Amino acid sequence: MTGPALPLLVVVPLLAAALGVMLPGRLSRMLLVVGPLLTTAGGAALVMAHSETPVIAHHVGGFVPGIAIAFVSDTFTAVMITVTGITTLACIAVAMLTGEARLRFFPSLVLMLSAGVNGALLTGDLFNLFVFIEVMLLPSYALIAMTGTWRRLGIGRLFVVLNLATSTIFLIGVGLVYGVAGSVNIAVLSEMDAEDPRFLLAVSVVLLALTVKAGVVPVHGWLPRSYPATSATVMALFSALHTKVAIYAIYRIHQVVLDGAPAWITLVLILVTVTMVVGGYGSLGEKMIRRSLSWQMVAGVGYILAGLGIGTQLGLAAGFFYMIHHILVMGSLLLASAAIEHAYRTNQFVGLSGLMRREPVLAVLAALGMGSLIGFPPSSGFFGKVGLVRAAAELDGLQLWLVLTAILVASIGTLLAMVKMWSEVFWGPPIEELPCYGRGRGVPVPFPHGTRIRRRTLLPSAALLGASLLLFFVPGPVWELCLQAASGLLDVSGYAEAVMSR
Amino acid sequence: MSVLPLTVAVLVTGGVYLMCQPSLIRIIFGITLLSHGANLILLAAGVTAWRGEPLTGRGDPADAADPLPMAFVLTAIVITLAVTVFMLALARIGHDDDTHHMPDTGEDHRA
Repeated sequence: MTGPALPLLVVVPLLAAALGVMLPGRLSRMLLVVGPLLTTAGGAALVMAHSETPVIAHHVGGFVPGIAIAFVSDTFTAVMITVTGITTLACIAVAMLTGEARLRFFPSLVLMLSAGVNGALLTGDLFNLFVFIEVMLLPSYALIAMTGTWRRLGIGRLFVVLNLATSTIFLIGVGLVYGVAGSVNIAVLSEMDAEDPRFLLAVSVVLLALTVKAGVVPVHGWLPRSYPATSATVMALFSALHTKVAIYAIYRIHQVVLDGAPAWITLVLILVTVTMVVGGYGSLGEKMIRRSLSWQMVAGVGYILAGLGIGTQLGLAAGFFYMIHHILVMGSLLLASAAIEHAYRTNQFVGLSGLMRREPVLAVLAALGMGSLIGFPPSSGFFGKVGLVRAAAELDGLQLWLVLTAILVASIGTLLAMVKMWSEVFWGPPIEELPCYGRGRGVPVPFPHGTRIRRRTLLPSAALLGASLLLFFVPGPVWELCLQAASGLLDVSGYAEAVMSR
Repeated sequence: MSVLPLTVAVLVTGGVYLMCQPSLIRIIFGITLLSHGANLILLAAGVTAWRGEPLTGRGDPADAADPLPMAFVLTAIVITLAVTVFMLALARIGHDDDTHHMPDTGEDHRA
C-alpha cells in the first residue's frame, strides 16, 4: 500500500455510506459488509508495508508539506485500523444476525462511523483530528437515538451535550496551539520547544478534551451512564471505536508533540492508577451485564494509559498490546451479551439465572472472556498484564509501588465483579423457576418455552475470543508490532521527516 | 484591543451558565454561545490586529490576515449547526423538559 491510497480508507466507507442511503435495504446491507472488509484489508496491507517503510505520508492534492492536509500512517496507525476494523466487522455480523441492521439508515450510519474512525487514526493534523472526531460522533448520536431501550432518549442528550462541549474545548485548544505555534500539523509541532509554558498550556487543553472523551477518572462518569442504554451491538461498536480513538490521539499527541513531557508524568501515573481501581471496583454496584462491563471499560482505559505513564519503549508497547487485547475481549463479551439479549430480552441479573447448564457454549465463551479481562491464562489478558507489570518494574521508588499495587488491586476488583456476574447469570436455579422475569418498568412477560440462544449469533463473539486466545498462544508477531509502534512513538524524527518531505 | 477577549469571556460565561440549566433548550443555547466563544478564540489566533482581506491581488500580502483560522471557523460553524439541529430534534421527541413523562416512541417500554 502506498501514500496516495491512504485517503481511500476514509473515502471508500464514506462513499459506501452515501450509496447506502439511496440503495434498497438488501444492497445497503451488502455495502455494510464490503466497506469495512475493504478498509480492514487495507489496514492489514499497511501493516505489511510498514515492515519496509516505517512511515507512509500523503499530502492531499499535492500541496506543499506543512500546508497540505496530511494523511500519515505508521505501525501504530495501521495496527489500530486493522484491529478496529475486525471488531467492527464482528459487530456488523451480530447486527445482521439479530436483525438490527434492518433499521433504517443503520448501514449508512455505521459506515460513516467507520470512515470517521479511519480518518481520525490517519490524520496528521490537529484540526482534521477535530473534524474526523465529529464525523465519527454525528452518526453515533443517531445510532444512540435509534437503538436500545427507551432510556436512550434521555441518555442521548447526555451523550450529545457532553461530546459537543468537549469538542468545543478541543477546538479552543486547537486555536490556542495555532496561536502559539502557527501550525496545527503534528509533524511541525513535534519540532516546537516542549518546555515553552504557553505551548504546554495550549496542548494540555487539547489533551484535557481528549481525556474526557477517553473516559479517564475523574471525568469518566458519562461512560457507564450512557453506553449501556444503547443496544449491545452498538455498545460493542462504541467500546471498540470511541474511547480507543481518543486514547490513540492521547498517545500520539503526548509522545510526538510533547516528547513524553516528564514534568507531569507523576500526575499521569496517579490518574491512570485511580482510573484502574475505580473502574475495577465500579462494577460491583451494578445489576446488569452491560453496566457492569462498562465499568471494566473504564478500568481498561487506566491500564492502556499506564503504558503512556511508564513511557519507556517497553511501557508503550505493553500499553498498546493491552489496547489490542481490550478491544478484542470487550467486543467478545459485549457481543455475547447481545446474543443473550436477543434470545432472553434482558441483560439484568434479576432476569437471568442458571445459564451454565442451559447455554454451555455461551458459558465457555463468557468464562474465557471474563478470565481474559481479569488476566488469567489462556488468553491475551495474561500477557497484557504481564507486559505492563514488567514495564512498570523498570520505574523507581514510589512510582513503581504505585503502579504495581494499582494493577494488583484493580485486578482483584475485576475478579470480584466477574465472580458476581458469573454467579448471578450462570449459576442459580433454572431460569424458568425465577419468581419474575424482566422486572423493571413493564409488565413481566414470560418467554416461550424452550427459548435458546441460536448458535450462530454467538459466532462473531467466538471469533473475537479466538483472536484473543491466539494472542496468548502466539503473542510474538503482535508483540513485535507493538515494539515497532512504540519505537516509532519514541523516535519521532522518522515521522516528521516523512510528513515534511514530498 | 481588549474587545475580543472580553467578548469571549462574556460568551463563555453565558454559555456555561446556560449549560448548567435543566432544560435542553437552554443547554442548546448555552452550547451555541460556547461555540461562538471558541470560534472567536480561533479567529484571535490568526488575527491579533486589524489586517487586510486575504485575497490575492488586493493589497500587500504582508498586511493580509491569516486565512487558515477563518477556514477553521467556517468548518466549526458548519459542524455546530448540524449538531444543534440534531439536539433541537432531541428536545422535541425526548422527555418533556419539566416533567418526567415517558416519551412516546411507538414501542413498548418493557425492559
